[in-house]
Amino acid sequence: MFKDFSSYLQENSFLGASAYYFLSLPLVIQIAFVFIFVALIATLTAYGSILMRRYRGYRRDQKLADILPRIDQLLTDHIILNDGLSQNIPVEEIELPLDEFRIPLFRTRENRQMLIDRIVNYKKSFTGSIGALLRQLYLELELDKVSAKKMKSAKWNRKVQGMIELTDMDMSISDVNILPLTNSKNRELRAEARNAYIKLSKNEPFKFFDVVTEPLLMWDQIELFKTITTTEEIAIPHFARWVTYSSNKSIVSFCLKLIVHYNQQDAAQAVIRLLDNKDHALRADAINCLGKLRCEEAEPRLISIYSNQPLNCQIEILKALGRIDTGENIQFLRREFLQSSDFDIRKNAAKSLIKIKSVPRSLIDELIETGTAENQLILKHCMNPLIKF
Amino acid sequence: MQKILIIDDNDIVQLVLQKILIKEGYTVDVAVNGKEGLSMIGEGGYDLIITDLMMPYANGFEIISKIKQHPMGKDTPVIIISSITHEDSILEGFKLGADDYLKKPITGKELIIRVNRLLNK
Repeated sequence: MFKDFSSYLQENSFLGASAYYFLSLPLVIQIAFVFIFVALIATLTAYGSILMRRYRGYRRDQKLADILPRIDQLLTDHIILNDGLSQNIPVEEIELPLDEFRIPLFRTRENRQMLIDRIVNYKKSFTGSIGALLRQLYLELELDKVSAKKMKSAKWNRKVQGMIELTDMDMSISDVNILPLTNSKNRELRAEARNAYIKLSKNEPFKFFDVVTEPLLMWDQIELFKTITTTEEIAIPHFARWVTYSSNKSIVSFCLKLIVHYNQQDAAQAVIRLLDNKDHALRADAINCLGKLRCEEAEPRLISIYSNQPLNCQIEILKALGRIDTGENIQFLRREFLQSSDFDIRKNAAKSLIKIKSVPRSLIDELIETGTAENQLILKHCMNPLIKF
Repeated sequence: MQKILIIDDNDIVQLVLQKILIKEGYTVDVAVNGKEGLSMIGEGGYDLIITDLMMPYANGFEIISKIKQHPMGKDTPVIIISSITHEDSILEGFKLGADDYLKKPITGKELIIRVNRLLNK
């Protein structure tokens, strides 16, 4: 028989009564109570945390609304509209009114960070003498030291922040500090370190390719590709070096793409050697690269290995034949188109047949007239000039 | 005084271009996106339009093509300022009727020279 809570309360304090009452309940109810209690606390904590974040964000927005116009005013008055710039005085000879920036407002870490962020954002939008003057201001206010200090932080996001600031302000970072980060276990950190290394190291921007053991993920490759192809005055090496010696498959695969982009024809031999690699994905990348380099000497080899290859490599070989366009393997492509049971093989063989200039029109007409309904459809699809190959 | 319209969603670019051009003696209006830009162009009276390409609501290409179709804007010179450096985009801009193309990050001096040249100043 259960006693109600008030009868426990008559004999004990509130806490004691609660404990006795709880212990007198059946186990199922006790467990339910614990769950309800935990869920309630978790919900309240989540709400509290959200509210706190929102409040902090609101305070930060308010602060930004107050400080940003003042920073903008300082930057436009002393940098953008600097009299020295309009008088064509060399940037290094312009004396900046540093006292205007060394005000109590920027002594707090948060406000100083707002100043750094704003200078970095200005630098991203403006180059030439304005960009150089912004960099000079950043240096003379010793904000580079603030950014460099972040690089030594234990937190990866602080390191990334410091690195981005230094990179955007064209500051140098020593190899000792940055090279280990290009191999960090943290994906974001190593991606940013690799980007920074390429941007900052003018002599050997690809040195980290030698030390990288962590894979270059596809997104990292896209980011790196963008950095490499948009960074000015970058020393482009012979990527065949890594195709031959790197044990990191993702580096080899990435270098193959760079070989294509920079049309490094002299890398062809190194790429052909990759056709013996055990990794089929790498072989497919190598075949793709040879096709895009229009490497005629690779064509007999591609034909000879075709029958032993998995589907992805076979498809790449068919594409490569179309790109190389020697016209010596028309019958091979025709046979694959007519005899293969795989749709992708037939489609790619057809695309290459259409692409090869020396394929006579009569051959295509014959294939259309005598082909199955599906093959006719494939050919018509491949002949559509709007569909790129 | 010649009047210039800047259409850009980047507050720093808006502010700095405005300051530089005002210092050069121009009157400057700013639109923060393509839609606002188009409505301001409709009111007319601009001697030059400077526009970004990537913006919310209406991109730079749409803006240029509408400016060039608009009776008030068809003779107004247009400068594109963009971080897009792809040749196709640059050519597309010129094809639609842009008069000049400046790649971001820009230099203040280059901007002034190009603006002055288009406005025969």
